[in-house]
Amino acid sequence: MSKKTIVGFIIASALGVVSTVVIAHGGATGIVKERMDAMSDMKDSMKSVSNMFKGNEPYDANKVRVAAEVIKGHSGEQLTKLFPEGSLKHPSEAKLIVWSEWDRFDKLAKHLGVLSEGLSKAADNIEPPASTNEMMGGSSMMGNGGMMGESSMMGESSMMGGGHMMLTADEYGEMPVEMVFKMVTDNCSSCHTRFRKEKE
Amino acid sequence: MKRTLLFILGTGAALAIGWNSMNNAAIDEYSLQELTGDVSRGAYMARASGCIACHTDVENGGAPLAGGPPLKTPFGTFYAPNLTTDSSHGIGNWTVDDFAKALRAGKNPKGDSYYPAFPYTFYTKLTDQDIADLWVAFKTVPAVDKPAPDHELGFPFNIRSGLPVWQNLFFDQGRFVPESGQSEKYNRGAYLVESATHCAACHSERNVFGALDVDNPFTGSKSLLEGEGRVPAITPQALLDKGWTENDLAYALKSGLKHDGDAFGSSMGEVVRGGTSFMRKQDLNAIAYYLMNRK
Repeated sequence: MSKKTIVGFIIASALGVVSTVVIAHGGATGIVKERMDAMSDMKDSMKSVSNMFKGNEPYDANKVRVAAEVIKGHSGEQLTKLFPEGSLKHPSEAKLIVWSEWDRFDKLAKHLGVLSEGLSKAADNIEPPASTNEMMGGSSMMGNGGMMGESSMMGESSMMGGGHMMLTADEYGEMPVEMVFKMVTDNCSSCHTRFRKEKE
Repeated sequence: MKRTLLFILGTGAALAIGWNSMNNAAIDEYSLQELTGDVSRGAYMARASGCIACHTDVENGGAPLAGGPPLKTPFGTFYAPNLTTDSSHGIGNWTVDDFAKALRAGKNPKGDSYYPAFPYTFYTKLTDQDIADLWVAFKTVPAVDKPAPDHELGFPFNIRSGLPVWQNLFFDQGRFVPESGQSEKYNRGAYLVESATHCAACHSERNVFGALDVDNPFTGSKSLLEGEGRVPAITPQALLDKGWTENDLAYALKSGLKHDGDAFGSSMGEVVRGGTSFMRKQDLNAIAYYLMNRK
């Protein structure tokens, strides 16, 4: 193999590595890429836990704790520091409202930390899934007759959009793990609903 | 193009008065007063049908069903009205038949037509019993003595007298008809999707008049809501191509978490949090089954 071929091969390989990095997340670079990577980590962690609740894999409390740690590591200030004002460079999915409603955004990011810590603490609180789960929606919605006007159904802690009370990590840690996981999901979804632009 | 559209709409509005009486005559003559409703079942359907999600301004601490947050669209801003038992600003003076007429004919007790932002083109397929159940559930809602804001629509969409024409052109009243040869699960899913949960309302294209492309439902669309991107296609093939399974879909509607671990955003996040997350597993399984196997 000639020297020229080897050099060419090295350059091509290097370009290949660079382009792979750039292509991930549609060409995101800098801070936008950093936060998209963080979101990806959290997404993978959420998937690993949901696979167990879907019945695709047997339940493993350690996996929940590992996932919760990853999410906690990306929450609060670790998350908000990746959103310097006006950082909307393509292919960012953030909406401008992130900065005009910074307090709300910040609160959701911090609450994600509390919830993920609670998720870790709740990892051993397994309850029989089937029947309780099936009725989870029904019972919280209409269990006590009054239903339509019950605040439990409608809008407590409405500023979060998720309808959950704000508790401490220890208090979340006392709850059934699947319920806490649902709260983590709701927190993510509330944030995405308000602050993320959906891809075309 | 814009001028043509305005001409068509203007002509439509002009014809509206004449068509109005004809359209009123088409409303079904029936009464649900003899049916006994069930509050719990009605509350369940109110969740499933998105009544609570759309008519409650949860984010700003609004009372249940006292009026929804603004829906900003290219036609203008819609506000879902107060549906509490208040007799001045809500539906406290209505009868079950007034309620049924709103859901099935898209008309208020006076006979005025509603904008199709209220998905009566889907609710028209609800069963008598589901409507009776919804009605008794709505009657338990505490009254809120405050009107929801009026819609803020641009010309010509602010001409309400054009709505009967729209209904004549694009709306057929009807009931859900189970598909023969299909399983109970398939038909339960079909009923929920085609009436209560009205999935096609967002997941299908609309024409310039805001009418759904009924020949190509579930093929995705550009969201009509301001600031939202594209609403994905949910045809069986599109779902398969994106790696969804029935189990994933049912779980996503319950949890708000997609098959890849991402949490729903945009209005789908609200649909799940305020609606489908409250639904029974067997209904969510039926919806998923229908969407993945729709003929």
